[in-house]
Amino acid sequence: MVLVPLKKRAETKPGRSDLAGPIEQARYVCSLGAMQSAAAIPGVIPITHCGPGCVSKQYRSLVYANGYQGGGRSGAGVAPSTNASQREVIFGGGDRLRELIEATLDILDADLFVVVTGCISDLVGDDVGSVVRDFQKRDVPIVYAETGGFRGNNFIGHDVVTRAIIDQLGGEPDHATQRGLVNLWSLLPYQNTFWRGDLAEIKRVLEGIGLKVNVLFGPSSHGLAEWRTIPQAQFNLVLSPWLGLSTARHLEAKYGQPFLHVPVIPIGAKQTGEFLREVGAFAGLPGADVEKFIKAEEKEYYDYLLSFSEFYSERRSAMPTRAAVIGDAAYVLALTKFLVRQLGFIPARQIITDNTPGEHRDAIRDAFRAIDHDVSTEVDFIEDGYNVHTLLRQTDFGHKPPILFGTSWERTITKELDGFLVEVGFPVSHEVVISRSNVGYRGALTLIERIYSTIVSRSG
Amino acid sequence: MAINLKVASVESREQRLGTIINWDGKASDLADQSGFSRDGCGARCGISGGKVPRICELESPFTQGTGCSEQIVENQASHIRDAVLIHHAPIGCSALHASTSASYRKGLAARDMPVADAISISTNLGDSDMVYGGVEKLRDAIHKAWERHHPKAIFIATSCATGIIGDDVESVTKACEEELGIPVVPVFCEGFKSNHWSSGFDAIQHGILRHIVRKAPRRKQDDLINLFVLSGADVYTDMLGQLGLRANFVVNLATVEGLEQMSEAAASTSFCYTFATYLGAALEREFGVPQIKAPQPFGFAGTDGWLRAIGQALNRQEQVEQYIQREHERIGPRVEKLRTELRGLKGFVVMGPGYAHGIIGILRELGITVEGSVAYHHDPIYDSPDTERDTLGFMLDSYGDIEHLSISNGQSYRFFNMLKRVNPDFIIFRHSALGSVINRLGLPVIPLEADASFPVGYQGLVNIGEEILAVLAQRKFHEDLAAHTTLPYKASWLAEQDPFALARRVGA
Repeated sequence: MVLVPLKKRAETKPGRSDLAGPIEQARYVCSLGAMQSAAAIPGVIPITHCGPGCVSKQYRSLVYANGYQGGGRSGAGVAPSTNASQREVIFGGGDRLRELIEATLDILDADLFVVVTGCISDLVGDDVGSVVRDFQKRDVPIVYAETGGFRGNNFIGHDVVTRAIIDQLGGEPDHATQRGLVNLWSLLPYQNTFWRGDLAEIKRVLEGIGLKVNVLFGPSSHGLAEWRTIPQAQFNLVLSPWLGLSTARHLEAKYGQPFLHVPVIPIGAKQTGEFLREVGAFAGLPGADVEKFIKAEEKEYYDYLLSFSEFYSERRSAMPTRAAVIGDAAYVLALTKFLVRQLGFIPARQIITDNTPGEHRDAIRDAFRAIDHDVSTEVDFIEDGYNVHTLLRQTDFGHKPPILFGTSWERTITKELDGFLVEVGFPVSHEVVISRSNVGYRGALTLIERIYSTIVSRSG
Repeated sequence: MAINLKVASVESREQRLGTIINWDGKASDLADQSGFSRDGCGARCGISGGKVPRICELESPFTQGTGCSEQIVENQASHIRDAVLIHHAPIGCSALHASTSASYRKGLAARDMPVADAISISTNLGDSDMVYGGVEKLRDAIHKAWERHHPKAIFIATSCATGIIGDDVESVTKACEEELGIPVVPVFCEGFKSNHWSSGFDAIQHGILRHIVRKAPRRKQDDLINLFVLSGADVYTDMLGQLGLRANFVVNLATVEGLEQMSEAAASTSFCYTFATYLGAALEREFGVPQIKAPQPFGFAGTDGWLRAIGQALNRQEQVEQYIQREHERIGPRVEKLRTELRGLKGFVVMGPGYAHGIIGILRELGITVEGSVAYHHDPIYDSPDTERDTLGFMLDSYGDIEHLSISNGQSYRFFNMLKRVNPDFIIFRHSALGSVINRLGLPVIPLEADASFPVGYQGLVNIGEEILAVLAQRKFHEDLAAHTTLPYKASWLAEQDPFALARRVGA
């Protein structure tokens, strides 16, 4: 790729995913992985009705072998599981699930249990709804979501789990709108290695301009108390290229709530300022308050950037100039935007691997074509790692070593290309991630540190 | 229960060996109830044709996620260096590919081999495949595996989904095997078919025995010994080299050629008889490669016995005695010092059974008290009934009883009550997810995950002793954490004295 005038290009690929084909090097998990979306809500514990290995596979991959994030209170081996056996396959697993839920109520403390199902239950046709409804009638805080692995990936499962909680939570929802309260629908918990830190930073900047934020997932959420106020929010903010849109539409239909869709998660001062102005305007916040916050944040951000610029300028010629970004739609778009608009990288290749549903792909292509006022680039949708690497091998990275923003699956190809790798998406096996963020003002500075430490640590 | 290489799949452990996953009591009671009779393998031994003895098992209504056979198959098959694994399954069964690949890379580096990714491919089954079947996708994936990587063998791991919809995996693999001219090995490892993941070892070993091991050995290799290992450092080449022997490492990090030549070896053995039971017995019975009849190589007692049995089987008694003497002299003083340094400590062991029996031996030889242990399952007998290989019996005979031996397939909710019974100073365990549960209790933990070889042989005594000294320093981290941790369990459960109370309530 290169700098080109802003104009539409012909389609380079058909708008069809390669979902139908085999996948080498998994870059997402199955619907059941959304058990972690439930576990990401403070006080919520998933109950899993699936085969014996399903929980450990989804958990160990998303939570452990992905930045070694850890699962906190409801993590590790906590989640109950029916560990469905031959008996449940032949005779059905409804009774076993009922038994497990009863026993769970004796053993575990939770504000809400979310029953999620695996392939076995969904294939043999267990009536999980009827089992769970019996408990709901007894006022047990419990909901269910059918997430059998063959139904789709964990992005799809996340939608199903989210919808299940919204619709089955029960109680009389208070519809009185709280002005300034916003529900945030953004990164997929655990799949995105940095979701905790990122959601905290997004919440911080939104609060900075005067909003109250239902962040809903992660340590900065207030758990179910927050979920119960979802109907009261002034609006829903979908901050991602596509994930969360269906939830926002559902809430629009259910409660008449409007939503604002911002596809680009803001990284760096330029993007974050624009983001806050857009949200502020939509929320009807006083412009002066928004500007005051932005000004204070920019002061700090650019003070740091000015200091960093001594290194940036002096070492520039030894630095990579072309970047490839591989990962989920949200991060590929957000990172490319930041790399191009604020760090001045040339976008060499962008590959989205999350199996973005077909109906959202054109809008995402358009967003890449308008990555900046003077830069346009293309994006590919590929899920099979072998094909991802084939495309990277065909990419023109110019005369210098490239920098790749990707996953652990890019380690080998990065060596082959003699480039640099920053691991930013599932799976991340060579980074330990606790509270680090890559977005907003503070996350961007951390990301800059990470990028240039990766580069400078190789010298000498 | 018999070994039958004519059929495509091997019976699960609970069918073949009477394996259990829920039990609690004295180790000696468990041994008395097991098929390995303490007076020699008599009428109760299942292998000799009788019925497999069944041990009364506690069944709990509350269960937490465990692990499945397919996970084991993945870990084994994708670690064979010139093979490719295909998961015939929805994408979720490949979730751990990255993790498996990371451990493969570490394993290669530990043995000074070029680092590479573990290769596996998911057939990525979806909704419509559940209706129309997935065999065409399997055929496509096998061809892609061949075109992309030209492997020496392709393994197909089946899944719960393909087992339920009834895909005819055997016909596809048979056709592809003929077409491609390499072994295309179906491994039947549907998670729901066994309540214990160790059945996965048997499933892949069965596939290797049927499709890869040379039926007609080209030559007998009198100095070659099959060593069934997991990933970890190579502590064997030097040890066996001093005896004039070569090791054929299988299955982790082997090549297909290494697997083929198993039938040419002079003998087979392992450091852990739990995972090696089926392969060793089948090689002996079907290919005439004898198993070493000895305890496992842990601690002085086990290692002495293991080496002497190898010496006797392969006619190297003299070299073995010299080696044992050299090693005792080398290690002895350091172990003496460790015994002083570790005096008064109490340990707790959590891992698979054979391995656990070995580690308990090491701790007792180091003078550490062991009053409690968890084994993830228990095999009342192995596939070959040699009492010399009865790991629980050897532990009891050499080191005495264990008051609280629990058989529990993970189930971290029980750990709190189990640990309260014995109040250990540290925990030594395998299978990491449990470590993150245990460390919330303020106890330092020693994981043996990354390097299965770490406790093996004489050096293993020193390794474990030094590691315990190191981990005691880490108590500070765990104590600090425990002071700020809330557990998700109800107070009533945490106050429960009996970790198996729920199961006993149901049984009553």
